[in-house]
Amino acid sequence: MTPISPPEPFTVTTLEGAAAGHDPGLQPDELIHAYRTLLTVRAFDEVCMKLQRSGRIGFSIPNRGIEAVSVGAASALDKSDWIFPSYRDFGMALYHGVRPLEMMHNMFGNGADAAKGRQMSVHFSFVEPLHFVSISSPIGTHLPQAVGAARAFQMRGEDRVCLASFGDGGTSSLGFHSALNFAGVWRAPVIFLCQNNGWAISCPSAKQTASESYAVKAQAYGIEGVLVEGNDLLAVREATRQAVERARSGGGATLIEARTYRMGGHSTSDDPKRYVPAAELEAWECKDPVRWFERYLAGVELWDEGLRERLEAEVMAEVDGAAKEAEQTPAPGLETIFSDVYRDLPTHLRRQGQESFEMAQRLGDPAAGDGAFPL
Amino acid sequence: MTLEFKLPDIGEGTAEGEIVKWLVSVGDTVAEHQPVVEVMTDKATVEIPAPAPGRIVSFLAEEGETVPVGSVIFHLDTDSAGDPAPAEAAGGESARTQAAHTPVAVVAGPSGDSGVVAPARKPTGRTLAVPSARRVARELGVDLSQVVGSGRNGIVRRVDVEQMAKAGAGEQVAQSCATASGAASGAGDQRIPFRGVRRKIAEAMSRSVYTIPHFTVVEEVDITDLVTVRTKAKALGEEQGIKVTFMPFIMKAVALGLARHPMLNGHLDEEAGEIVQRGDVNLGIATDTPNGLIVPVVRGVQSQTVMQLAGQLGELAERTRAGRVKAEELRDSTFSITNAGAIGGTLATPIINFPDIAILGVHRIVKRPGVVETPEGDKIEVRQYMNFSLSVDHRLADGADGARFLAYLRQLLEAPGLLAL
Repeated sequence: MTPISPPEPFTVTTLEGAAAGHDPGLQPDELIHAYRTLLTVRAFDEVCMKLQRSGRIGFSIPNRGIEAVSVGAASALDKSDWIFPSYRDFGMALYHGVRPLEMMHNMFGNGADAAKGRQMSVHFSFVEPLHFVSISSPIGTHLPQAVGAARAFQMRGEDRVCLASFGDGGTSSLGFHSALNFAGVWRAPVIFLCQNNGWAISCPSAKQTASESYAVKAQAYGIEGVLVEGNDLLAVREATRQAVERARSGGGATLIEARTYRMGGHSTSDDPKRYVPAAELEAWECKDPVRWFERYLAGVELWDEGLRERLEAEVMAEVDGAAKEAEQTPAPGLETIFSDVYRDLPTHLRRQGQESFEMAQRLGDPAAGDGAFPL
Repeated sequence: MTLEFKLPDIGEGTAEGEIVKWLVSVGDTVAEHQPVVEVMTDKATVEIPAPAPGRIVSFLAEEGETVPVGSVIFHLDTDSAGDPAPAEAAGGESARTQAAHTPVAVVAGPSGDSGVVAPARKPTGRTLAVPSARRVARELGVDLSQVVGSGRNGIVRRVDVEQMAKAGAGEQVAQSCATASGAASGAGDQRIPFRGVRRKIAEAMSRSVYTIPHFTVVEEVDITDLVTVRTKAKALGEEQGIKVTFMPFIMKAVALGLARHPMLNGHLDEEAGEIVQRGDVNLGIATDTPNGLIVPVVRGVQSQTVMQLAGQLGELAERTRAGRVKAEELRDSTFSITNAGAIGGTLATPIINFPDIAILGVHRIVKRPGVVETPEGDKIEVRQYMNFSLSVDHRLADGADGARFLAYLRQLLEAPGLLAL
């Protein structure tokens, strides 16, 4: 057997920001929109971390370091496509027009939340303006679902594709195998975006696989595999664009490994200082995806410090305002415990519902949380 | 409005957090999201920010204290955001006094100063209770507000209601309080918050005793000659400004004994499944301080002279009693010595300073008639004796090992010239 050496990750821009004549296929306002989205993800992270630490929300997942993967990939998708995201992908939703306020409603689990407070924080789902299927906590379970949806589009002759995103840890799940296998068998219009950020919570990539890369695993399933520099937004966009084109034209599935680095904890519940080597973190600091994209934008004369300051202030005000409003928004009504599962509520549930309404009337509204984790 | 800040669950199921450091002072004006306190949980050490702009009215937990999730740790006056601190305006009225004047809706929480466990109430006056407890209370006709909860944050559990119902109607409250606190209360009783150093000591002792099967062996040592040597050494030490006690001689003897019995010097690395025998002898010296028992460590005892040890010991003991000993000076002992000799007691069963393998207890010197063997035959003389109690981890050493070590110690201390070997 000839060993397969992984190529160097595919890049479009140099670290200095030069793109050597590459046409990103985005208008200046679209490039600025992508940049603004990166900053919004950062602002959202920052505010949520503070909210969680002061007990105002229960949980959050930081994105720092991987923002260019989700924003770059989203920019290559149409609104009609379906996204089966992982929990560090809300940049995709923001890029396609979801407002920070809609996300904050989820963080507080209030009555205005799309899932009516029935999902965990950060587990967004949106029907409009894009198809953003609920983020699921179990690892890799959404991959076969994405393949199933893609297969359905294929059978119906629809022009849509599915993008399923997951981390390096997700490649060790059963779902990864089933999904890639059947995506290959059916030549399903699906893109698997492996966000290899170096860590599955505290488990380093080195302990996750003996393969030379994750992209190389595509070969075993008879699909395309691409290794891309995840902090180069335009490279992620280009790799995704080609994969989407392949999928739409009947060429089947692609596994994209976007190599990046998680520059914070896995979530608000762990302490990365205990396991992330400081030197490794420092080495990735100079590849910060936001700064990298800024250098590209500066090269094409779309960016200066003033723009950053202006946009940072703008998105921070929007996110902060969203937090205040979501915090003030009342909790979901009691009836939402019983709604949306059955079209006609079975008798025993209707009786339970009636009893709980009566009890709530007698006792006043159920008390809000006591600082405990809301689950 | 005074906002009560409750320690949130910052890590998916953490039960408590230690207050590491207050990052602001009482009376300070803080912005929303400004870090107020550093808290350490089992999972991480994090900065907790202010939930709203305002002025810090009071702290309800001290640095070093471990508080349960959900207990109020500070009060924030959200009306005075940006105003000069009233404490200053009032001419230095103390923050504590300010706190006392500020109406606060909730009775003492788990970390309240009174230390009394009161029924948990929401500001609306409603008792916190789990749903099944409410149902049972309705069925049994128990007034929930009279029930003392045994759940987290004092939440009333079903069993609390049932116990209350079982108790006689007249003594309901007392009975339930007694159940919750584990003991009845009388007029002269005092309730002291169980926390800080006392709690740390309790945790360390429990861990040692519940983990290590201890066995203790006691030996009587004739230290008449050592007393003579020490008296001379004391005079020598005074010239150098060093106070020479018996302890440095005992430390020297222990270091020599451990060189011969290395299985008593180290610890058990349970994770690696290995017994670690240490090359250095680092002696933890249990010291009685106003704050409780502290065990500073003298390092590299095997390569020091008695006089050097005396100097180091005096300095370390003084700093320990003054509370100026550094955290790293309390770590990494390989064997410990506890000295109750000055206080009294003939023998003891010392508790091993976890994860050490053994600990030596040193007791008071007594003068007694003793039999001395001379060429002319046995004679009765006034001799001085000291008892030594050695507790050993029976998982790692056998009774004979401990007895041999102690016998060797006796040999050295009865003929202190041998310490120079």
